[in-house]
Amino acid sequence: MSLKAKLQRLKGHLTREVKQAAEAVPQEWQQEPGSANRTGLPVESTVESTTVERMSDGSIPFLPEWTALAARPYIYHDRYVMVREVRYPLSQRHGRYRFAQLYEVIEDWERASADHPLSAANLAADALLFFDTETTGLNGGVGNTVFLLGYSRVEGDEVIVRQHFLAAPDAEVALYQSFLDSVREFSHLVTFNGKAFDWPQVKTRHTLIRDEVPQLPAFGHLDLLHGARRLWKHHLPSCRLSLIEQQKLGVWREEDVPGYMAPLAYFDYLNERDPRLIQGVLKHNERDVLSLITLYIHLSKLLLAHESSAVSPEELFETARWYEALGQWERAIQRYRAVAESCTGSGTQVGVNALIALGHLYKKQKKWQQAISIWEQCMATCSYLPEEVYLEAAKICEHQLKDYEKALHYAKQALSLRKKKSSLLRHKFSAELAAYQKRIERLEQKLFRLV
Amino acid sequence: MKQKRQIAEVLERLKSDERFGKQIVHWQTIPPREARLAPFPDDLDQRIRQTLSKRGINSLYIHQATAYRLVREGKHIVAVTPTASGKSLCYHLPILQALAEEPQVRALYLFPTKALAQDQKSELVAWTDEMGLPIKTETYDGDTPASIRQVVRQAGSIVITNPDMLHSAILPHHTKWVSFFEHLRYVVIDELHTYRGVFGSHVANVIRRLKRICAFYGSSPQFICTSATIANPKELGERLTEEEMVLVDDNGAPSGRKHFLFYNPPVVNRQLNIRRSATLEARDVAAAFLTSGIQTILFARSRVRVEILLTYLQELIKKKVGAKTIQGYRGGYLPSQRRAIERGLRNGEILGVVSTNALELGVDIGQLQACVITGYPGSIASVWQQAGRAGRRQDESVVVLVGSSSPLDQYVLQHPEYFFGQSPEAARINPDNLIILVDHLKCAAFELPFREGERFGRAEVTEILQFLTDEQILHHARGKWFWMNESFPAHEISLRSASQENVVIIDISEQGNERVIGEMDRFSSLTLLHEEAIYLHQGVQYQVEKLDYAEKKAYVREVQVDYYTDANLAVQLKVLEQEESVGGEQVEYAYGEVSVHAMATIFKKIKFETHENIGSGPIHLPEEELHTNAAWISFRETLLTKMGKAEAERGLAGLAYVLKHVAPLFVMCDPQDLHVVAQRKAVHSGEPTIFLYDRYPGGIGLSEQVFQEMPTILAEAEKLICSCPCEKGCPSCTGASEEGEKELALTLLRAAWGGSLHVS
Repeated sequence: MSLKAKLQRLKGHLTREVKQAAEAVPQEWQQEPGSANRTGLPVESTVESTTVERMSDGSIPFLPEWTALAARPYIYHDRYVMVREVRYPLSQRHGRYRFAQLYEVIEDWERASADHPLSAANLAADALLFFDTETTGLNGGVGNTVFLLGYSRVEGDEVIVRQHFLAAPDAEVALYQSFLDSVREFSHLVTFNGKAFDWPQVKTRHTLIRDEVPQLPAFGHLDLLHGARRLWKHHLPSCRLSLIEQQKLGVWREEDVPGYMAPLAYFDYLNERDPRLIQGVLKHNERDVLSLITLYIHLSKLLLAHESSAVSPEELFETARWYEALGQWERAIQRYRAVAESCTGSGTQVGVNALIALGHLYKKQKKWQQAISIWEQCMATCSYLPEEVYLEAAKICEHQLKDYEKALHYAKQALSLRKKKSSLLRHKFSAELAAYQKRIERLEQKLFRLV
Repeated sequence: MKQKRQIAEVLERLKSDERFGKQIVHWQTIPPREARLAPFPDDLDQRIRQTLSKRGINSLYIHQATAYRLVREGKHIVAVTPTASGKSLCYHLPILQALAEEPQVRALYLFPTKALAQDQKSELVAWTDEMGLPIKTETYDGDTPASIRQVVRQAGSIVITNPDMLHSAILPHHTKWVSFFEHLRYVVIDELHTYRGVFGSHVANVIRRLKRICAFYGSSPQFICTSATIANPKELGERLTEEEMVLVDDNGAPSGRKHFLFYNPPVVNRQLNIRRSATLEARDVAAAFLTSGIQTILFARSRVRVEILLTYLQELIKKKVGAKTIQGYRGGYLPSQRRAIERGLRNGEILGVVSTNALELGVDIGQLQACVITGYPGSIASVWQQAGRAGRRQDESVVVLVGSSSPLDQYVLQHPEYFFGQSPEAARINPDNLIILVDHLKCAAFELPFREGERFGRAEVTEILQFLTDEQILHHARGKWFWMNESFPAHEISLRSASQENVVIIDISEQGNERVIGEMDRFSSLTLLHEEAIYLHQGVQYQVEKLDYAEKKAYVREVQVDYYTDANLAVQLKVLEQEESVGGEQVEYAYGEVSVHAMATIFKKIKFETHENIGSGPIHLPEEELHTNAAWISFRETLLTKMGKAEAERGLAGLAYVLKHVAPLFVMCDPQDLHVVAQRKAVHSGEPTIFLYDRYPGGIGLSEQVFQEMPTILAEAEKLICSCPCEKGCPSCTGASEEGEKELALTLLRAAWGGSLHVS
């Protein structure tokens, strides 16, 4: 029997992969040529003249359509990729900020001279690449091809979005050549999950052709996902960029091709070579890299704010925790205080939490009296406090202030809270209860000896 | 010394025991063997030399010296050595030497299981620490913490892993291993003999992928394989690696005296020639050893048997030694459970183990002194590997093979010269099984694009690449095929199980504490995890409450009942294409492609101890479809009129029964891998036909082998029927016991031989 017939017969056993069907991409994403411009945004096409010179017009299918999308071919060793470039004025607003405010926050970082992983102090605004990729799969691995390298950056009075698009899978050398040609002067990547996904994937694909292209630059890397998680994990159902855009950045996307559709759109494009099949993905990526600027401005503002006029108490509280984790206690204290002050009288949980955290920080700084007084303030005003607070208070009173009576009182409070919790949770914390009991006995002995 | 005496004593008792004594039908004593030694090679590094000396090793066994020399000469080798013959030195020594000379050299060790990898790592680390060599030995498997994976990838000199991990985690991420692959000089394949059948065919393709990636990074590693005794180690090594191998089989290791007993259970029904259950007899033999404090391993052939024996023995031994000291060991257990058992065996906390052939592998479990095998495991090689579990340390040891009533067992027990005289079977793989090949071709394309004209190992693959392009999995551009799909192909392909997806078994006995206790391949689940089935796990009985076949989940609840369940599988078979045939007047042998539809029909509840049928019920599960290869024997339609329809049908059934047991003997496979179906009127020809088909989709070459060996197989089948002492057919020959069954089967056999029909 012929192999062909056998392959057909065994087909059911051989292919389990998702079929790539054109109908998987809804019509509205397959826009008409030229419609990219209907948003009224300025579109310019200014790819370097060197590449234009080498372009041979007959060999590029759908060239007019590409041109309408502001993309030009980049030709290298007989292969071409498409480079799309769109410019926006710095004064343009994207969500709640104007791009120009990037300069502002960088200055603010300089002034604050805070040591923080997202700090842009000592960095030039035009050395930052706000970077994002689109790939043929979501799982990593060598076979997951990066087909779009996109970034935005500021230059002079403009924001420039540039996208390097893999026009055919055999053009990866050209893709990386074109990318590396144009990113040499930049020092840092700003990404959203780029440390775990995008950049390793770029490295992976680059490794396959490492003998034919220059090395990848050793970029510094600010990954905004980490910061977003720290600030909003408890307040947003997920930390997807699109959700953050809506909830935090005031960016609304219309007719967006969701990221998970990108691979299917690309496979469709490969079959037809018609750029209209991929323009939705290009637009999606463009918005992603623009939103990265807005997100960076926003996160910076949150991190640099030290009072709650501009920031919600919850966010301020989370930034305080972040500074605390970084060991920058003064900055943390300043923010916890601001949270507590803004919540005075309102009795909100975040205000109480800030006071408790403040107490812990004072304790770490060995400011015993301050710690105790702040906790006592909590005890006086709050109906419920975690027993740890009483326990810590008891420790300070016993070991530092030698006030055994107070210590005993707090220890007993802690024990009774613990017991309440055990009965609520129907779980005996025997070891802990025993430790509490021991502390109480010891304190009673100390008191007895004094009497 | 005390233990040696114990063994001799127990054997003496066994021999003179009224019940056991006369069932021992053969007693072979394998004499001890002296060591044959060779001096250390001249070029061996001083540090290695000293460490060996410190451990009391001042010379090598000759096979170790040969292996060292050949590897140093750049040859690929297969070393065939029995258990406990110091086989690991065959690869450690030349590799450590190379690393002592050039620290940047990298080596990859492949073990079939994680447990084996752990063992080897601790041994190697102890060695290299003592030698003071800057060698980093690391395991890389599912248990390796993410935090140290990067270190392993970049700095591991010797990376120990298993084929599954290589397949799904290393090769698809090869760009993270650049310097490892650039400097990869040795690939060790331990337990080569386990890479046969479907698993071996998969692994051969994983190695094609490995070699392709090595070539990309400019390396071309040497393969060092070790194998237990099989007929064709060199051929297997060459098929697996597609490199020319040199065989090292001059075993120089000493071995202790071994007693090999064939034990045939007593006949309980003379007319039907039915013997007492091998399971029960093996239990009693094992109990005799265990109660004397002799560490014993008991092998059973199926997971169910393991659990039944475990329940029996734990009950029996509880009073004397405590229930915890006997443990089960089989494939369905979770890794942590298995490792705990292996530890218990090594440190002696566990006295007995009941195992499926999972322990055929060379897990170092220390000094087991007795080995009881329940039923002939289907191949000579398997018997020797299971027997190798006893007496690894040169002590006296005993192996008891307890036969069942099956024709194959009876044949072996009654022909000890067959077992002791014949060389063990050959291990076969078929890396070009279309399904397996296509699976790995996808993985390979994911890892690196294919160039026009490129082969995949020895396989010519252009047509398949085109097929995958038509299916929109690959994209063809300018002479290259690129992976163009969202999926991660290696994650969808399992090297171990026939069907791609396993059924997960979930214990729901305790509300709020549901937990996964095991898994099973889909095909087995049809008959073992249907609703109401009794599923046994570590001696605990569970009843299946719900089998969610679509979601691949079986929900079980703990129960206590005095029965187990046994399910029937109804099979329909159609010939799709006949590829080869040899015709005679009366009969035709053929080979080709078939489609099989299997459906579980009913199950029976069978009482422990008495094995009586105490109830049954229907099974409602969808039909499984299988495309595979088959060999078949067709008789002329006239046979029906000559013999009579009913008689011909009974004859076919009887002959099929015999062939099912005899054929695996000649194609070296587990009887489970080759199925037999008889049809009075085959769909394709209308003729009476017996089919023997491969259980794996696409076939792995078993039925092709059957087709080629048909005359031998038929001759052996005839011998078996003729030499059976029963009168009219019994479970040890033709199966049923109706009048004339035996004669009918023999009549058909003669016809199959090309003789004319004689109906008496």
